[in-house]
Amino acid sequence: MASRNIIELRNLAKTYDLGAVQVPALKGLDFDIRDGSYTAIMGSSGSGKSTLLNILGCLDRPTSGAYLLGGDDVARMSDKELSRVRGTRIGFIFQSYNLIQQLDVVENIHLPLFYQGKDIKESYDHCVKMAEKVGLGDRLDHRPMQLSGGQQQRVAVARALVNEPLMLLADEPTGNLDSSTEEEILNVLDELHREGRTLVVVTHDDAVAQRAERVICLKDGLVDEDRLRTSDDVGENQEK
Amino acid sequence: MLTMLGMIIGVWAVITLVAIGEGASHDAQEAIKSLGTKNVIIRSVKPPSMRAQLHGISLEMAFFGLKRQDAIQIEKTVPGVKRVLPILTKRMNAVHGVREVNCQLIGTFPSYPEFTQAEMVVGQFLNEEEENSKVSSCVISLPLAGRLFAGHNPLLETIVVRGFESSQVFQVKGVLQERVDAEKLPQLDDSLGRAITSNVYVPLSTFYALYGVQNVDQSLGDLKMESVELTEIRVEFENVEEVLPSLPLIHEALLAGRDERDFEIVVPIRELHALQKQKARDTRMLLYIACISLLVGGIGIMNIMLATVTERTREIGVRRALGATRRDITIQFVVETLILCLFGGSVGVIGGWLFAVFRQHILETTTIVTEWSVVLAFGLSVAVGLIFGLYPARRAAHLDPIEALRHS
Repeated sequence: MASRNIIELRNLAKTYDLGAVQVPALKGLDFDIRDGSYTAIMGSSGSGKSTLLNILGCLDRPTSGAYLLGGDDVARMSDKELSRVRGTRIGFIFQSYNLIQQLDVVENIHLPLFYQGKDIKESYDHCVKMAEKVGLGDRLDHRPMQLSGGQQQRVAVARALVNEPLMLLADEPTGNLDSSTEEEILNVLDELHREGRTLVVVTHDDAVAQRAERVICLKDGLVDEDRLRTSDDVGENQEK
Repeated sequence: MLTMLGMIIGVWAVITLVAIGEGASHDAQEAIKSLGTKNVIIRSVKPPSMRAQLHGISLEMAFFGLKRQDAIQIEKTVPGVKRVLPILTKRMNAVHGVREVNCQLIGTFPSYPEFTQAEMVVGQFLNEEEENSKVSSCVISLPLAGRLFAGHNPLLETIVVRGFESSQVFQVKGVLQERVDAEKLPQLDDSLGRAITSNVYVPLSTFYALYGVQNVDQSLGDLKMESVELTEIRVEFENVEEVLPSLPLIHEALLAGRDERDFEIVVPIRELHALQKQKARDTRMLLYIACISLLVGGIGIMNIMLATVTERTREIGVRRALGATRRDITIQFVVETLILCLFGGSVGVIGGWLFAVFRQHILETTTIVTEWSVVLAFGLSVAVGLIFGLYPARRAAHLDPIEALRHS
């Protein structure tokens, strides 16, 4: 597998300016994420995990350092450029699904394409294909309220995939789900990994992190541990 | 729905008020036009010196007013005059069988119907021949025919016209419908009792032959003793343009040989212009009212949109995360406000229009929904949507996506 770097972080730091005090959240991170890899980012609250997630998701800009996403430094981009990067290179999966209640399944899946100026008519078939991929081919005109939590998260996964992003960025993707549904969603993620997609999952749940090939642990704004799992480990976990 | 109430009522009010104003103005203009825009109406009025005695009881006869000579003078000296019509009226009672009705005896020329745009319902109007032969025939107005004959055909029936001095028998040879609806005429109607719609028309020469040239109009109620030769002279010009420039000449012709001004001149075309000016003023005022009510409506809409933005903060964050730019979010909320405003505007237009239809057909009052008021209502709705939608929309667009996503 070609393994170029999708993400390159160079001395990435973020400090929150609260007026009177400066609060450093990230104190200089250096790591790369390879194309097709499956990475879990862990850490207790206050470790800088959420800040890193926001920066990786191009929702926030670092105070200093470089963040190369697909070769472009997004750290200095304007709000408008960041919007475009979010819409074309990143597929978000949130803890609480975050589907738009007034739109049906296909319309929700279509949303990232809508903001890239693509009409729902021309991309309808593609959206339906995404829905089928996550096993919701028979729920196309349902509203989020009519779906179970697991089904809603599948819609969110389909929505994250629809614009063929460089990376899927999941924030506690199973945090709101019961254990059997959690398993279901994690299997979907495994499947996507096998297809060669790049996954970054931010979680505090070991069971979720153990599915990844690589676990990066943050502590006080720095990388505390960066460990690659062997295929033995993965196999061991899957047997559990 | 409640949030749009301000818009709905604002637009409703605009449509309705404009329609009512338009209707009233239409009626007034029609009434003025029915007097003839090419016409000038000169009426006898009591001169100021005689008016002063009005409150005391005077048995002295008051002589004043227009003369036949005046009509001849105007026709001869004022250029552009096509013809003149003298009118003399007198309050009488008309009797047929057991019915007796107050009426107005009108002595005039055969050209009266053409002059006043009145129409014959049945029979013929008075003609030259009768005027000369002094045959006692008459024409009666449609309301009088209704009151005296109650559905019978009045043609060739006789009526008695009874006054203080005498009673006179006339044969009815026609029924005339006046065009002027006196009720709708603003301020022009009854300076000489012309609002009375029960009329008996006879040739002017007959009038003089029967009642004399110096005519006494007596009414017991206020012990009025007045004598006029003509109550009214109507002057018709060849063209509308000649009316206003000729007014000084008419004045001149009338004032020659008079020490006192005992007439008034009504110029329908001037009244029409004044009315149109008044209407433009009213319309401007309506616009101000419309703007104020829509301002109130707009503030209501803005309020609800601000609440909506707060309520949907998380959705805004999601949309931003999925690639929406600030501009996309701004457009989304402005469009939503516009839709709200246009919906409110439509309901208002439909409501106002329904009210207008109700007023026109059920209350039978002229009400005209004008296209410009509908266009204006929609235009203002759009303007309100844009203006009052922009602030909430920009607030939505400038939310921090991270904060917005965290919002519960």
